Amino acid sequence: MAFKTLGCRLNQYETDALVTDFSQAGYELVDYNESPDVVIVNTCTVTNQSDHKSRSVISQAARKAKNAVVVVTGCMANNFKEKLESQENITFVVENSRKSSILTLVDAHFSGEIAHPDQLPQDVFRYEPVRKSLHTRSAVKIQDGCDNFCTFCIIPMVRGNAVSRPVADVLESIRKTVDNGFKEIVITGVNIGRYSDGDTRFEDLLAQILEVPGDFRVRISSLEPDGFGPDFVKLFAHPKLMPHLHLCLQSGSDKTLLRMRRMYDVEQFRKTVTQFRAVYTDFNFTTDIIVGFPGETEEEFGQTLEAIKEFNFSHIHTFKYSVRKGTRAERLENHLPEKVKTERSLQIRDLSVENKIDYFNSFIGKTQDVLVEKVAHGVASGYGEHYIPVRFKLTGAQKNAIHKVRLLERKGDDENCYLLGEVIL
Amino acid sequence: MMTLMRHDQQMDESFYKILEIRHLTGNAFSIKLPKARFAFKAGQHISLGIVGGNQSREYSIYSGENEENLEVLIKEVQNGYFTPQLRRLKIGRMLEIHGPFGKFGMEREKAEKGKFVFIASGTGIAPFRSIIRTYPNIDYTLIHGVKTLEEAYDSHEYEKGRYVLCTSREKTGDYHGRLTGYLKTCTFAPDTQFDLCGNSEMIFDALEILKGKGFSRDQIHCEVYF
Ligand SMILES: Cc1cc2nc3c(=O)[nH]c(=O)nc-3n(C[C@H](O)[C@H](O)[C@H](O)COP(=O)(O)OP(=O)(O)OC[C@H]3O[C@@H](n4cnc5c(N)ncnc54)[C@H](O)[C@@H]3O)c2cc1C
Repeated sequence: MAFKTLGCRLNQYETDALVTDFSQAGYELVDYNESPDVVIVNTCTVTNQSDHKSRSVISQAARKAKNAVVVVTGCMANNFKEKLESQENITFVVENSRKSSILTLVDAHFSGEIAHPDQLPQDVFRYEPVRKSLHTRSAVKIQDGCDNFCTFCIIPMVRGNAVSRPVADVLESIRKTVDNGFKEIVITGVNIGRYSDGDTRFEDLLAQILEVPGDFRVRISSLEPDGFGPDFVKLFAHPKLMPHLHLCLQSGSDKTLLRMRRMYDVEQFRKTVTQFRAVYTDFNFTTDIIVGFPGETEEEFGQTLEAIKEFNFSHIHTFKYSVRKGTRAERLENHLPEKVKTERSLQIRDLSVENKIDYFNSFIGKTQDVLVEKVAHGVASGYGEHYIPVRFKLTGAQKNAIHKVRLLERKGDDENCYLLGEVIL
Repeated sequence: MMTLMRHDQQMDESFYKILEIRHLTGNAFSIKLPKARFAFKAGQHISLGIVGGNQSREYSIYSGENEENLEVLIKEVQNGYFTPQLRRLKIGRMLEIHGPFGKFGMEREKAEKGKFVFIASGTGIAPFRSIIRTYPNIDYTLIHGVKTLEEAYDSHEYEKGRYVLCTSREKTGDYHGRLTGYLKTCTFAPDTQFDLCGNSEMIFDALEILKGKGFSRDQIHCEVYF
């Protein structure tokens, strides 16, 4: 069987968990060029471009894996369910809420039962802890869905309401993932800052995760900038919690933020960044920015540029705004011409590279604990605590080992730059 | 979707039959639905669609938490997609509802102890009516910005002296001009909590005024409609 995954970390995690599920059931994972009997395409629908990519991957999969069972799941399966169901090259369309039971569906199909995806149980957390050997880092899902209804976003329509995985379940999954040999765990969900199980909020859950015994470190996947308190900052003093946050600003203009229905302002964002950097001076902040949102004036865009400079994001995921059918922003006035959006997004990208270079340079001469993700030709590469990509030479280097590395120089002066170092331990 | 069939007005977990339509102005109306088991917190909104249609929109709940019916207040937007269709609906038609959603509003304890200023433009008054009907003893002032007097939806329900109507197109309100003009003239106790609801431009201007008066952003909560 073969998998194809598009989109976010959460999707990647859900694929990894499904791979684990299928492997344990005896299925063999192959590339989808190698005539698999089953192909699972885990789609994304966050932008029109993702729809386009998802569609082309589906047709490619169906073409290459002739006679295979083609299962389409993920957010596009929710957004375009009926349309996909009417396509002859797709065997099953499985919504997100039933994704965790795809093995049952495929098993039933091969044993000759008449199976329909709608009969599968709905459970967004019923995923197996990920088996080692897939990646060096494993995600653990703590939450799904979002009901913020940001005007640009289709996610509430395809992932549904915010729901949180019970604390005991999360901790059990962390323990099993650590037992499976993972040294780094990424806490994942759609809007994890909104985690809430009884009285347990996101910070409380994180504190409990950090107390799980074992040799592992914890990262937090992207986070909305509202909804957490001062205790959150203190948690980062814990050696297991890595000093990096992907905190989604989206715009540096309060007016634009309100049009996006994002209920924080730049001042509140500033407060968070300041609180962190007052304690951890080299803390790494990365972010998402949407460029050319309807009605974005030159002045508002200028405020975004200023904010990027001020907050020193070491990386910016820049999204050129594109109309997403079915979102509120589709009906907003003053959509900007493509040319303006492209120009603005190039400016952001340039600034992002400048920031990245400055930030990486500030680490030269310092040391980082690097988790090796890849070894090729005697060169090991991986990420340090601050999520800086690092490479170093080491004979006999092994994946999944952590080495203390002194950072010597920066290589490259573009988006893909990294730091070169030498092992000291 | 699950079929329940335990209530003749509620065929499905998310399908509700229109019980009553109140026409409040030439283009604003409220729709009453059976509440049945639908539980929400005052200030929250629902997503509402017409059964058989392909779009939905969000609406703040206009009724109190403990009322028999669920009510929403809607203004027909000229050239809008959804509201002209909603306006044509008759009693008995089915609506599809999802939710409740959102964190706008306050906990009971806070509602009973705090001092609140509610600031609304147009139909942005909806969540405040729900809050006031849910917590009848709440200490509030409601500042409502509209164009003309007729948009002072159900204003007779609010306690005298607590409802301030700002009319921008005529001199019929308590204040003639935009609500932001009125806000500039006000003084508030330092521990006041502010809740703002309506269009993003009004909210932006009101936020600037309140921050200019020294209030912290953490004392101000916003719900943007468009
Ligand atoms: C959380 C939330 C709660 C809401 N609660 C209410 C409510 O209680 N009552 C209510 O009437 N609306 C409410 N809205 C707005 C509502 O969801 C729709 O946007 C509105 O009814 C217009 O829908 P439409 O399809 O007719 O217009 P569309 O075709 O979607 O939009 C046409 C244009 O009208 C603008 N517009 C949207 N709403 C208004 C409005 N109320 N007045 C003037 N222009 C508008 C849009 O920005 C757009 O440019 C709420 C929105 C949100 C996000």
